[in-house]
Amino acid sequence: MWTGLVFLAVIIGSIAFHVWTPWWWTDIASNWGAMDDTIILTFWIGGGVFILVCLFMVYCIFKFNYKEGRKVEYKPEDKKLEVRLTWATALGVAALLAPGLLVWNQYIKVPENSIHVEVMAWQWGWKYRLPGEDGVLGTSSNKKINDDNPFGINEDDPNGKDDILIDSEELHIANNRPVKILLRSIDVLHNFYVPQFRAKMDAVPGMITYYWFEPNKIGEYEVLCAEYCGVGHYAMRGLVVVDNQEDYNKWLAKHETFSSFIAKRKKEGLINEKVVKINNILNTKKSIKSEKNVR
Amino acid sequence: MSDPTLDKLPGGFKGMSEDIGSDQTTFKGVNWGKAMMWIFLLSDTFVFSCFLVAYMKVRASVTEPWPYPSEVFGLEVFGVPVPLLLIAIMTFVLITSSGTMALAVKYGYEKNRKMCGLFVLLTAIGGLTFVGMQAFEWSKLIFHDGVRPWGNPFGAEQFGAFFFMITGFHGTHVSIGVIFLFIFARKVYRGDFDTGRRGYFTTMKSDYVAIEILGLYWHFVDLVWVFIFAFFYLW
Amino acid sequence: MSDDLNIKKTSSIKTKSSSVSGGGTDIDYVRPAELPEQDLYHGHSFITKWIFCQDAKVIGIQYTLTAVFTGVVGLILSWMMRMQLGFPELFPFLTAESYYQMVTMHGMIMVVYLLTALFLGGFGNYLIPLMVGARDMVFPYVNMISFWMFFVAVVVLMASFFVPGGPTGSGWTLYPPQAILEGTPGSGYGILLMLISLSLFVIGFTMGGLNYVITILQARTRGMTLMRMPLTIWGIFTATVLALLAFPALLVSSIMMTLDKVLGTSFFMPTIIKAGEMLSYDGGSPILFQHLFWFFGHPEVYIVALPAFGIVSDLLSVHARKNIFGYRMMVWAIVGIGALSFFVWAHHMYVSGMNPWFGFFFASTTLIIAVPTALKVYNWILTLWRGNIRLTTVMLFCLGFIVTFVNGGITGIFLGNVIVDVPLSDTYFVIAHFHMVMGIAPLMVIFGAIYHWFPLITGRFLDETLGKWHFWVTFLGAYSIYFPMHYLGFIGVPRRYFEMYDSPYMTSAVGMNEFISVAAFIVGAAQFIFFYNLVKSIRLGKPAGKNPWKANSLEWLTPQVPPEHGNWGEKLPVVHRWAYDFNVPGAKKDYITQTTPPSEVIEAEVEKT
Ligand code: HEM
Ligand SMILES: [Cu+2]
Ligand SMILES: [Cu+2]
Repeated sequence: MWTGLVFLAVIIGSIAFHVWTPWWWTDIASNWGAMDDTIILTFWIGGGVFILVCLFMVYCIFKFNYKEGRKVEYKPEDKKLEVRLTWATALGVAALLAPGLLVWNQYIKVPENSIHVEVMAWQWGWKYRLPGEDGVLGTSSNKKINDDNPFGINEDDPNGKDDILIDSEELHIANNRPVKILLRSIDVLHNFYVPQFRAKMDAVPGMITYYWFEPNKIGEYEVLCAEYCGVGHYAMRGLVVVDNQEDYNKWLAKHETFSSFIAKRKKEGLINEKVVKINNILNTKKSIKSEKNVR
Repeated sequence: MSDPTLDKLPGGFKGMSEDIGSDQTTFKGVNWGKAMMWIFLLSDTFVFSCFLVAYMKVRASVTEPWPYPSEVFGLEVFGVPVPLLLIAIMTFVLITSSGTMALAVKYGYEKNRKMCGLFVLLTAIGGLTFVGMQAFEWSKLIFHDGVRPWGNPFGAEQFGAFFFMITGFHGTHVSIGVIFLFIFARKVYRGDFDTGRRGYFTTMKSDYVAIEILGLYWHFVDLVWVFIFAFFYLW
Repeated sequence: MSDDLNIKKTSSIKTKSSSVSGGGTDIDYVRPAELPEQDLYHGHSFITKWIFCQDAKVIGIQYTLTAVFTGVVGLILSWMMRMQLGFPELFPFLTAESYYQMVTMHGMIMVVYLLTALFLGGFGNYLIPLMVGARDMVFPYVNMISFWMFFVAVVVLMASFFVPGGPTGSGWTLYPPQAILEGTPGSGYGILLMLISLSLFVIGFTMGGLNYVITILQARTRGMTLMRMPLTIWGIFTATVLALLAFPALLVSSIMMTLDKVLGTSFFMPTIIKAGEMLSYDGGSPILFQHLFWFFGHPEVYIVALPAFGIVSDLLSVHARKNIFGYRMMVWAIVGIGALSFFVWAHHMYVSGMNPWFGFFFASTTLIIAVPTALKVYNWILTLWRGNIRLTTVMLFCLGFIVTFVNGGITGIFLGNVIVDVPLSDTYFVIAHFHMVMGIAPLMVIFGAIYHWFPLITGRFLDETLGKWHFWVTFLGAYSIYFPMHYLGFIGVPRRYFEMYDSPYMTSAVGMNEFISVAAFIVGAAQFIFFYNLVKSIRLGKPAGKNPWKANSLEWLTPQVPPEHGNWGEKLPVVHRWAYDFNVPGAKKDYITQTTPPSEVIEAEVEKT
């Protein structure tokens, strides 16, 4: 008797918890309301199935509890019922999948007018690069990274000269303008995740990954690294500030471009000695190669 | 057919599934060991496929140029560079050893102890030759050409890594096969399969079907080599 | 080709009709034996009987004990993690390094060394020969080696706790480049031992797995057709096939990562800059590893789940005194899920940076798998319908399984639907989901199975009162750990966070974390009731006698209980029906064992045989 009651209590408790939970997602601050909607849809369909299945089970516990000599049904299969259940399930699943795929299609297609922002992850922190006047990020490669070129920008690429380098954990973006986040990593996997924007993607060393969103609420948001990246993972936080256009422009103006950065380094006389050091490393690495190339 | 039960059996797909599902054995008349070897080989196929797929993926995506195989694997004969010479010989030896293995199996069926043993032994020697030539090739690449798993003078460093890993893994298979071939050659000569003498470790009796099982393994190793040959030397 | 050279008696198929008069009209007719008697090695000394033993039953128990030992280690690790997450101040010696090492070892131990080894090595070895009516596995010697390989794998794994740098802390997914670089704890010896241990596990498992498959395919007793096998066997069989095809990917990725670590190759390692210096790696692909890992990893989930599906079907049927509903559908669902499980692996990689177009394909395949899975659930509850349900501890665990499995299955639909996975992946929602569906649900089945088969193994029952306590604390406790945890994921709390309280919106979760931790301590402690019950009942439990649950399947029908080496005494059993003839109309008893010939139960209106 009470076995059934406890199981019933578990189901009712789950529903109650869901209804009155104080823990729920953060207020959304981007265009990805559709993600929340698909979650809600899944909740309705999936939750409904969960409740129905469990209630059926509880009913059986009450109704068919052991009684000596009870008449038990002997029916190995019921083709019709099985076919119906198959179709009903397939339908339910399709109802979940179709909208999901539609939204995914939006997620992977970046709007033309989006601002490109490069996020560069390292153990353990974030750096950012924004396109300059030309609106285009210069090409880059991790192999080119050194103290004089922290982002490994391709020096031969004119697009890179005016790129704005932000050597800080704090990134500003303009409200109501789509942003394409281009992710790079110099060491291991990371993931640039702001819960309020819902979107995320891994940063993978050796390649550039992306996602996009359009912020729609001014404010400060914490960045969490969402892909395990070593002992500092839990502390790898950053900050995204969504500004109105005016504040954003002001913030942007405060930061130096790649060419001004190089100019400064040159003036400080730092540049040469570092280059030598980096070259040394490169040379030892490829020593076998060069040895052979001489031959 | 005079067998009344056979007449009643359903035909077509239904009949097939009933045969497979019938009691006792799914593969009728197939020896346990042989069935096991087949399934093991299926599993092993997945191992080699994973290696080769990984190789293809990396080769396709790596930015540095991939070394030119016919140059790397060339051999100079009297001052004339002959591309792929050694590999051609190695492949020939291995394929031939498959032939001798097949003969060993044939004589096993005929319970021809002497001939069976002879061909098992020949197969073992073929395998040993292959491994020897592979060792030669490796040492040439390593000591003469400076190819290392972590780098090489010709291009992308994964070239050496994949080459040594995959041919090494295959070579290990061949070597294990050679060891077993020698052991079984001895067993055949001693007449274990005629007298039903029990195995030293397993304490089980065995007979000539063991040669066929070993043959399955050996042909598989050969087949894998053909793929490795195609992917490494011809691509 | 024919194999006459090995087994002379195989040709008897052709002569079968002549051996029975009337050529098949006799209702008790079963085709004559195709196989000769199996030749078994009987151990004589203590060592050959109990240590290097070739009896599958003993090997099964050895597997089980070893797996349970690792499970206890995993449990203790989970306690310490929960300690840190719930009450971070209490144990200052819990550093981030040690936390990550614990997460990793916990995850790997639970998935591979506990669940896989227990279901396939433990239950597989014990039950397969008994349930299909064989005397033993087909290659007892190889089977024995398989266990000892596993044992060595466990020793190597445990040794990594004691090497300099400690065990690896790379997360159970072992993603490179991080796994083998400084900055991750145990990136020296720890990861190496882990990779070696995994490789040994794979090799050992392959030996065992070949045995299970061939025993099921080629060594059944007379009358045991495939469609008469208990679902337990179907589950274990399909899972083993999956393992034989999926573990190669793990082996290959382990080998490649070992080479990256030891020789400095760059399979998975791209150009990397650490502490301002460029490492000597170049051009490798981290995502390649993820593909290989999950090509193993997803089938692995089903390697754990399918045996659980099979076993729970049998337990439900026996304890509800009713035939399993839709047996054929159940078989096809198991096989279908197994086959599909090779086409869904990248649903673990939706946000990994792989080509986003894969998302469409893998989301679709993943949700398609939901259909056969859901059918299995329906069939379980329909088995209860109009049954005669005995609320034994075994049945309780089955019911607990249904609740947790359905719950976890549904959250799986969240995560499989690619766009829903974007906000939820790598958060506590994932942790809650997989603990529900592949942690708690299979554990429920394992416990149920142990309560069910303990009388067979020892001849005595486990104590029911203790059993019920064990069930309720475990079930309610585990449910209250993982049900609320989903909501942490909604908030956005990422997984694998050593500490998480300083984000403004996460502080609200402090109370919940404390609650979860307390629940985890209680659940863990409840397992010691179970261990006590086991130890006590071996000597003092109520004697069970033969076939105490009135089940139909062969394992209960051995001449001796517990069954001795060779299982069947003089003569192998002959099977006349499936294992689910409970409460057949017209029959005198409420069950008809598989060996009962139709002529003995002429009055029963059996539908399926
Ligand atoms: C009461 C029992 C258990 C408790 C309290 C528990 C607790 C935990 C905790 C706290 C984590 C770390 C979460 C994080 O920091 O991201 C974790 C991870 C994990 N657990 Fe459990 N666990 C239990 C049982 C199991 C079981 C039975 C399995 C078997 C499937 C399992 C598999 C895993 C896996 C695969 C991980 C992920 C490890 C990783 O992130 O690398 N756990 N568990
Ligand atoms: Cu991280
Ligand atoms: Cu999966």
